[in-house]
Amino acid sequence: MAEELHVLTVDDSASMRALLRVALGSRGYRVSQAEDGVAALEWLADSGDDVDVIVTDINMPRLDGFGLIEALRDQVRFRDCPILVLSTESSDEKKARARSAGATGWIVKPFDADRLDSALRRITH
Amino acid sequence: MQAAPSPHSPDSTPPATHHDHVTIMQGQAYVGTGKPEIVTTILGSCIACCLYDPVARIGGMNHFLLAEPAPDSGVVADANYGAYLMELLINQMMTSGALKSRMKAHIYGGADMHRGMTQIGSANARFARQFLATENIPLVRSDTGGECARRVDFDPVRGRVRVRIVGRRDVPVERPSAPRPASGEVELF
Repeated sequence: MAEELHVLTVDDSASMRALLRVALGSRGYRVSQAEDGVAALEWLADSGDDVDVIVTDINMPRLDGFGLIEALRDQVRFRDCPILVLSTESSDEKKARARSAGATGWIVKPFDADRLDSALRRITH
Repeated sequence: MQAAPSPHSPDSTPPATHHDHVTIMQGQAYVGTGKPEIVTTILGSCIACCLYDPVARIGGMNHFLLAEPAPDSGVVADANYGAYLMELLINQMMTSGALKSRMKAHIYGGADMHRGMTQIGSANARFARQFLATENIPLVRSDTGGECARRVDFDPVRGRVRVRIVGRRDVPVERPSAPRPASGEVELF
């Protein structure tokens, strides 16, 4: 049986958080969630020691996905943690900005849960 | 004499003399450019949601065919579904400078056009109301249900909407479309 991975999903949409909880939870992930970049940083500071991978949206209030990725890459603890962007955006400019900030990959919404699972397994292997 | 603004008109600015016209089709979301324009769609059982940030004066509209796929269906919530098009519209508005916490919503459509058949329109309207409640976006006006098609004209700068009943033959064929090429695309850096 595959090892249980702990994923933090960061998305300001409650509907998307619910969708991700079902999609990833049913595929054996332990799922924690935050509603924006600020909430994610606060949660990670307190409880993030065993997080294996982070999935983040881009457009969020307070601190967006780019800011979150940059803040995490500034911390030794999360410098190597895989971070996957999951966004409705698909422009090369936005992807390049995410790559420059330190993102590990990008998935365009709407997403296929099996492909998301496959990508998460690959980047945490 | 200028007419007083209706209770649903958040702005009393006199109308501009010229508007560009933009038509939204099923599966699309559109956010206003900031210039005077009227965004139009025609609905049967589909839903159009208009979102408006009255401070930024940014508005947008989507038009979706179905609510959301069944959880175990394996079907991706693509541009046929409100589950995707609602998020797409919100994100596009935020990219344009709107704040989600200031957004107000209108929903239109959701007619049950064929008696005795699956009540897709009612299900779509229920989904839209539930989605907005979940996302804490106030629903300030709605005109859904019934058996008649509707035409919606939305002014995204002023947040004003005009809804008219139209004939069934004015409604474009409502059926699922192919997914966008970029949907679900995975790119590892």
